[in-house]
Amino acid sequence: MNLVKKVFPLLITLCVTYVLSNSWGTIPPFGKFLSPFHGFWVNAEAPETGEPTDENLQIPGLQKPVKVVYDEMGIPHIFAENDHDLYLAQGYLTAKDRLWQMEFQTHFAGGRISEIVGDKGLASDQFQRRMGSVYGAEQSFEGMKADPKAKVALEAYSDGVNAYINSLDERNLPLEYKLLNYSPEPWSPIKSALFLKNMSFVLASGTDDLKMTNILRQYGREVAEDLFPNYPFEESPIIPSGSPIDFKPVPIPASPKDFMGLGSSMQTPEKDPNIGSNNWAVSGNKTVSGMPILANDPHLTLSLPSIWYQVQLVAPGVNVYGSTMPGTPNVITGFNKDIAWGVTNVGSDVLDWYQVKFKDASKLEYWHGGQWKKTKLRIETFKIKGKKDFVDTVFFTHHGPVVYLSHEKAFKSNIPVGHALRWIAHEKSQELTTFYKLNRAKNYSDYTEALTYYAAPAQNFVFASNEGDIALWVNGKFPLKSKLQGKYLMDGTDPAADWQGFIPQAHNPHVKNPVRGFVSSANQFSTDPAYPYYLGWQYAPSERGRRINERLAAMSKITVDSLRGLQNDNFNIRARKLLPLLLAQVDSKDKALDELKRWNLQNSSESVGATIFETWVLTLQSFLWDDEFDSDEKVPMNRPAMDRTIHLLEHEGSARWWDNVKTKNKKETMRDIVSGSFQAALDTLKKHHGPLGAEWAWYKQKETGVRHLIPGMDALSRLHIPVGGGGSIVNATTTRTGPSWRFIVELSKKGTPKGYGIYPGGQSGNPGSAHYDDLIDTWAKGELKPLLYLDQPTQSSNRIRKKLTLSVQ
Amino acid sequence: MKYSLGLTLVIVVVGAIIGMYLPWYAMGISAAIIAYVLGMKTKGSFVIGFAAGFILWTLAAYYTALGHPSTLPSRMASLLPLKGQVSLLYVVTGIIGGLTTGLWVWAGARLRQK
Repeated sequence: MNLVKKVFPLLITLCVTYVLSNSWGTIPPFGKFLSPFHGFWVNAEAPETGEPTDENLQIPGLQKPVKVVYDEMGIPHIFAENDHDLYLAQGYLTAKDRLWQMEFQTHFAGGRISEIVGDKGLASDQFQRRMGSVYGAEQSFEGMKADPKAKVALEAYSDGVNAYINSLDERNLPLEYKLLNYSPEPWSPIKSALFLKNMSFVLASGTDDLKMTNILRQYGREVAEDLFPNYPFEESPIIPSGSPIDFKPVPIPASPKDFMGLGSSMQTPEKDPNIGSNNWAVSGNKTVSGMPILANDPHLTLSLPSIWYQVQLVAPGVNVYGSTMPGTPNVITGFNKDIAWGVTNVGSDVLDWYQVKFKDASKLEYWHGGQWKKTKLRIETFKIKGKKDFVDTVFFTHHGPVVYLSHEKAFKSNIPVGHALRWIAHEKSQELTTFYKLNRAKNYSDYTEALTYYAAPAQNFVFASNEGDIALWVNGKFPLKSKLQGKYLMDGTDPAADWQGFIPQAHNPHVKNPVRGFVSSANQFSTDPAYPYYLGWQYAPSERGRRINERLAAMSKITVDSLRGLQNDNFNIRARKLLPLLLAQVDSKDKALDELKRWNLQNSSESVGATIFETWVLTLQSFLWDDEFDSDEKVPMNRPAMDRTIHLLEHEGSARWWDNVKTKNKKETMRDIVSGSFQAALDTLKKHHGPLGAEWAWYKQKETGVRHLIPGMDALSRLHIPVGGGGSIVNATTTRTGPSWRFIVELSKKGTPKGYGIYPGGQSGNPGSAHYDDLIDTWAKGELKPLLYLDQPTQSSNRIRKKLTLSVQ
Repeated sequence: MKYSLGLTLVIVVVGAIIGMYLPWYAMGISAAIIAYVLGMKTKGSFVIGFAAGFILWTLAAYYTALGHPSTLPSRMASLLPLKGQVSLLYVVTGIIGGLTTGLWVWAGARLRQK
């Protein structure tokens, strides 16, 4: 037999084996992936049952043995003999449950997704890096390392993650690596910095300056200021009006000259406006127990694996329980024996754009303060799966990176081209020190000291202590601005438009033990206009804040359970004011109108009234404003806020804005627009859900889902979750965002604090584990789980499922 | 017939041991070596290999899933997409195992042929 014929089958077999060993586009490597010895089958984990098990693992780098106890939710309670071992164990155990997520999120933050998915990730990667994400992380890494304790935590955490990575082989890689066919790289401390910087991207990168300039150019300053006012008509600020000011304000810089920027741009989707949060603390004189109770629920994009990971960290000097973010050491929000703290986002304006005038096409010099100044160049190299590297040059002025040059197309519609970015996220910072110290804080003064290290993203840090104090600091690094500086695009040649320093941290808005007996925040305005500094012109809508303050003021004999009720409050405070105004304009025989009139103003999951109202409001906003503010996709603008629309309905029934300028021969009235939008809303609902009936239930319209981090991965997601709420509801659950971690803590003078919490996910990132999504149903019901706070690893509890000893290798 | 069954059994057992310690394609290579060493006839070799691979992969998958009950198989059956039908997932797993093992056995047998 000839050789060709002899080896022909071998060649075919090698080809087929090669094909089945590699991924092709989105198709996984079928051979490897389906192999019962190597593929996804291996990732199945049996749920733990019966008697707690004992395990022993050897971990390189530990100085002393570490005891770990897992409870029935899969939450590790870590007992170490020193800080180093504590954070090493935190890194190791977090990676054990969440490695893929940690690496994927930091790859995303660092603009490295194209290394995994190929060149379809490049535009997003380039955007991340042009915005200076890696530059910012390098800056903040420098800051973090300056504190020796934070440095130990950061490095030990990294060693722990690496100890786990090194223990893996092809068989026990997390599922997503098998699916996308790649392997983890070593972890490094700067990845923690990247992760924290990404929180600024998530929470403090909203920018409307371009859209506001487009409005300014189209309608002039008077209209822009009228329709986009700098304080809402209805508000209940975080720091109660009339709170004393305990500092002497520094002088405010002079305003730069009025500037009419060029505006511009394209149309693509951008950040979800529903990311916001609630927190509050009530003082002992309002509670049944006489001790303060603190509650927090940060609203973020709901994802699997969850952004949060619960842990208890115990070592000499610290015993803290709470939620951590996989990728960083310490607890981010939680409690210890003496204090509890939580966070919500501050919507202050910490991101501004400066129109750049380059000398010539080389872009090596730009005009500022009457002279040509040199730009700095930063080279970014992108590795792309299956392609050659892509090298990009980013030009920096003294403000920051020029994110897009004038001839380029922006990745998002709210990002101006030809502008330099000045952003707080590029500052050197020490957020880790804040969390390190909060984890160990014993009282109000420890808490305020911890906050002095924090820069971004600014948070409303709510606080309660077992000494009976409650407090709230609107905390972060805030640029010292003239009034409205940065509402519009600014002139990059004018030194008066530059940021002129920062508000002294001690002058940040704060309140301690107010007379009303509670503190709260829900992303609304930090203060009323009496506060001496300018922080921003636009915050989250005030509804959640107003509702929470209204309820807390009325509540007495408060318990953990009554606050849990408030976290799940579905009352639509916006409808209370708006619905009568709308109904007065509508005459219709449609049964839906009767349904709406009967509605109890609750956005409960089964409510049909809520569906009609919410759809109507959206349609009304579009009917009223889109003719003027969404008419040209090359000139993106914002619609005026709902607060402004309500004012228009109530007081400006004949304003020019009611007319639809697109209908040439007709002049619409308020009545036309309101009733027209009602009919259109009903048509939309009929089209989607059929005739009025149970199919119109609010949860079916809202379609809340907790989605896997890989877009479109429905098989690893939980969709169609029957929950109520909404964007302007205290229970702020929307289609993709919502309370990402609800917790309530009642402090105790001598005993153990009582903590309760839940997040919509599970401790394990492994879809083959029972702990992947086991907390979602409890979360959807609005219930909380009691949190196990242990003093000793040997303490007995019927909730303990597994004991683990990490021993020195 | 007995000979074929015996061969199938040998490939399954060796494949299971190899699978536990070496990369996934080593199972196929081991089957090829068995075919070569035992001087299997080319005719029918693919069928024997396919049967062995199918049995090995489905049984091992079933055994793993039985020992570690989880929602993972049904999630994967939705992802692949097999409309969430876990039984189909076993069949697809068996076919991939059967195809590769069958091809390797065929290649091993042909190499030995004079």
